[in-house]
Amino acid sequence: MFCFKNVFKMTLLIVLGTLCFPQYAYSYIDPGTGSYVFQIIIAAFVAVSFMIKIYWHKIKKFVGRIFSQKNK
Amino acid sequence: MTTTSGLDASSFRDPNGFVFRRQGRLYRQINQQYREEYDLLINSGLYHKLNAENLLISHEEVDVKLAMAPDPYKIIQPRLVPFISYPYEWTFSQLKDAALLTIQIQKIAMQHGISLKDASAYNIQFVQGSPLLIDTLSFEKYKEGRPWIAYRQFCQHFLAPLALMARNDIRLNQLSRIFLDGIPLDLASRLLPVATYSRFSLLSHIHLHARSQKHFQNKAQRASERTLNRFSFMALIDSLESAVTSLNWRPRGTEWVDYYDHSNYSPEAMEFKCKCIDDYLLEIDPCQVWDIGANTGLYSRLAASRHIPVISLDVDAAAVELNYRQSRREANQFILPLVQDITNPSPGIGWDNIERMSLLERGPTDAVMALALVHHLAIGNNLSFARIAQLFSRLCRALIIEFIPKEDSQVQRMLSTREDIFHDYHVRGFEEEFSRFFSITRCEKITRSTRRLYLLKNKTTF
Repeated sequence: MFCFKNVFKMTLLIVLGTLCFPQYAYSYIDPGTGSYVFQIIIAAFVAVSFMIKIYWHKIKKFVGRIFSQKNK
Repeated sequence: MTTTSGLDASSFRDPNGFVFRRQGRLYRQINQQYREEYDLLINSGLYHKLNAENLLISHEEVDVKLAMAPDPYKIIQPRLVPFISYPYEWTFSQLKDAALLTIQIQKIAMQHGISLKDASAYNIQFVQGSPLLIDTLSFEKYKEGRPWIAYRQFCQHFLAPLALMARNDIRLNQLSRIFLDGIPLDLASRLLPVATYSRFSLLSHIHLHARSQKHFQNKAQRASERTLNRFSFMALIDSLESAVTSLNWRPRGTEWVDYYDHSNYSPEAMEFKCKCIDDYLLEIDPCQVWDIGANTGLYSRLAASRHIPVISLDVDAAAVELNYRQSRREANQFILPLVQDITNPSPGIGWDNIERMSLLERGPTDAVMALALVHHLAIGNNLSFARIAQLFSRLCRALIIEFIPKEDSQVQRMLSTREDIFHDYHVRGFEEEFSRFFSITRCEKITRSTRRLYLLKNKTTF
């Protein structure tokens, strides 16, 4: 069920997760240091809205199902 | 363009393989170092999925003995793209569709444990009316924790030009002609209106992104110490998709977009003109037509109705946009609308001036249609008939061309604000100069009009 506490916990985990584990990137195109770092930071923010979006779709589906059952 | 050694002039960046020509056929060599990734693309089912949905170019594996360089793993023969076009020749919706295709492929790839390793707009081509990824080597295994390598490229190749076109001026897409690796984000940030700071997608992916690039200019070591988990990765892709989707542009107010409404053809004259063009097309039966000065593609549709592929060129981005939108609506597979100024056609650019082909290098074509165009070139651009005829003789085998005399109201309007220095602008001068390069096969006077329509055949065989 949709719960803001859970969303907050997940977001916190995501932000920490993104900042903690080191890895190296090799590619034939230059990802650009600024772009590389920036996407990690911005991804932490957009992850919150992404999660809300996913939950929102689930709520809509859930509510839609209840109403369709009532109509039957 | 192909170099003298047979290698494709634009295929040199990726060490995993390259495109080449052998005996007139196009192949792609896949090097041993890409073995694992290529096998994953095929065995994961991603190649077949993208192919089935017409998102990725199809290919056939051929004899590896056809290799052009050492260390080949596979040689593939991709389906041929009939006409190569470039992002700086696309209108807003074409670039937007190409951007959304890239995102769609990335999302599908992630379901197969694969990610795009580049997001170049040059990897997208329009084939049968739809965008298609043409680089089979753009895929790599998704590694958990690794950020999207192509993020910078996507923002520079797609998001920045789209934002500039939508929020500043449609003509700013021409910046892509100068900046081949996409529009630098600091420049995009400076050119975008201040109001775009209030939109999260543009604030983040362009303005703050540009600041970050500047801040981290000389700090390469620190960049590789951070990771991005899968959920955040998907959130980033979703955010880019929303950013692109939310950008819109309404074509209006340009010089040519309502040209047909203002043109002085009566319905009878228009019907006669269409019938003549149709007859001429039937006579020459071309494999491809370039409609130069096509506007919104009224006459391109005539050729397309005969299943003739048409490259529908016009200088006006709004007219090209309307043409593209109509073609998409109709699911027209035969029309490729492109922004092209015939008085300044796309030059050869990039490395060695051959990486991206000039318009002329992509010809000659079977037939050119130049309808209601010559007076703009001759009077609007001070070009003599000799020069116009010479250019067209390099472009095509057959030419359907309309001559509009000085008495015509359109020409009168053009001359109303300037001195008439065009003493050779008459039908005899037109026929004399064009006859040096072409044979006049047909000539019709358009009913209830002073205009004439010609079918010319090139005296030189290509």
